[in-house]
Amino acid sequence: MDTMTYTTQSLWTWWIAMYLFFGGLGAATLSISFLTDMYCRPHRKLVLWGALSGVVMLALSSAVLFGHLLHHTAVIYVLNPLVLFYQPHAWIAWGTQFILWMMVWGLLYALPYLRETPLFMRMPLVGSLLKTSLAEWLSGCCMKRRRIVGWLATINGIGITVYTGLLLQSFPAVALWHNPGVPLLFTVSAFSTAFAYLLVLLNVFILDENDQDIRHRYERFDVILIATELVILFSFFNYTLSGSESGYRSAQLLWNDFGWLIGFIGFGLIVPFFLELKGVIRGWGSRFPTVAAGLLVLMGGYMLRHYFMYAGVYAYPW
Amino acid sequence: MTHYAMVIDLNTCVGCNACMAACAMENQTPVWKNKWRTYVPEKEIGTSEMVMRRFFPRLCNHCDNPPCLTVCPTGATYKRPDGIVMIDPDRCMGCRACAMACPYDARYEVTYDDIKTGKEFYGELQRTSPGMDKCSFCAHRLDKGMKPACVETCVGSARQFGDLDNPADPVAQMVMSGVAQPLMPHLGTRPNVYYIDDMKRKG
Repeated sequence: MDTMTYTTQSLWTWWIAMYLFFGGLGAATLSISFLTDMYCRPHRKLVLWGALSGVVMLALSSAVLFGHLLHHTAVIYVLNPLVLFYQPHAWIAWGTQFILWMMVWGLLYALPYLRETPLFMRMPLVGSLLKTSLAEWLSGCCMKRRRIVGWLATINGIGITVYTGLLLQSFPAVALWHNPGVPLLFTVSAFSTAFAYLLVLLNVFILDENDQDIRHRYERFDVILIATELVILFSFFNYTLSGSESGYRSAQLLWNDFGWLIGFIGFGLIVPFFLELKGVIRGWGSRFPTVAAGLLVLMGGYMLRHYFMYAGVYAYPW
Repeated sequence: MTHYAMVIDLNTCVGCNACMAACAMENQTPVWKNKWRTYVPEKEIGTSEMVMRRFFPRLCNHCDNPPCLTVCPTGATYKRPDGIVMIDPDRCMGCRACAMACPYDARYEVTYDDIKTGKEFYGELQRTSPGMDKCSFCAHRLDKGMKPACVETCVGSARQFGDLDNPADPVAQMVMSGVAQPLMPHLGTRPNVYYIDDMKRKG
């Protein structure tokens, strides 16, 4: 006789998975490209590609969330930085501020490089903005305080990736979400997808033979992160198998689904892991396997968040 | 200090849904899309002659440690000193995080369309902006010395309302005796809606 009702939710679906995916990916992309520029070697193209696409991803992520609000004008309360003082326990407040400031630091870090690039200086509106005395002054300041701006962006970036997991962790009724593994899993996944995305950029758009060391380093980091993600997922599997009915039902939903098993675990993690491992150990004769691995990791990054949203099970005692 | 709480006796709820109707009229809820501040799900439990029908009135549990409040990014959800968890509709941006956090499925959406339909349905609508909505223990009635609409209308006296900080209050006594228990106390939400179980007697 079952007096309980078990159900999944239909409030936060694919669109919040997009929000979490693009938020994490954009933030980690910005952080990695700036750290590379600061500590590996100055890399104008990588910073420009990383910063601009990262900011676009963060803007897209915010737009998805904003589009689904019920009362759009009330968003003003969460855009105000003071929200962190009166709602310090609300992760969306932190996430919104992190994303906003990440876009600011991201653009400021890229500003000197933007002004060095003829393509942007020639662009109709962008060019005239970049030529203003304010842009020149800001660019000078950013050049002088490059590492400070870079680290502010990096700290914000790490904050966003952790936030995407903390957001789900703050929902106590669902065992799959309400545990310390979620922020860790989403952070590892965000940085893994960002390395994969940058590998795609470096192998398709920024084709420079001198970048072989960066490509190799990124691939090595990505292999480690994918392996870590697999270990975390294995822990999740064990955690959800017993302890609570909510968790057990989530496990049934996930591990009986071919999309999760073959699509995400198989093609989103295991296949790219071996492709990248071969690239790290022996190298590939062409760029295609690395690009394919990168695209699979990106697909897997979205699928993880998608399945997580749909597999959260609520247990109601009626 | 007053600390409001409700006790619901599952043995005496007959599933007439009068509480739902009274609440809907009092609080102008979007009934056209089957959304209510209080709802009475029913379930058949058991088999053959042992079967019984259970009515389970549910509503916001006005938790002392409300997860809906901690996740609210704008501060729209707040707690009054008397324990009632409220929503400021003007401040709520409708991100739905509160509904995701609530273990009692107590919150629902009010959209721009609902505001428009509500004006046609109720004539004059108190609410002017969309956002999330939920039971307020009829705080506006309590402030006037009245009981919540659902309590007042309950034909089986299944719903009783009182002050936990008043030892002479029957609600406080039922809670203190342990006969009335909260839902899912292991989640640490410290709910202020308590239930008297019917399973021991009938099940």
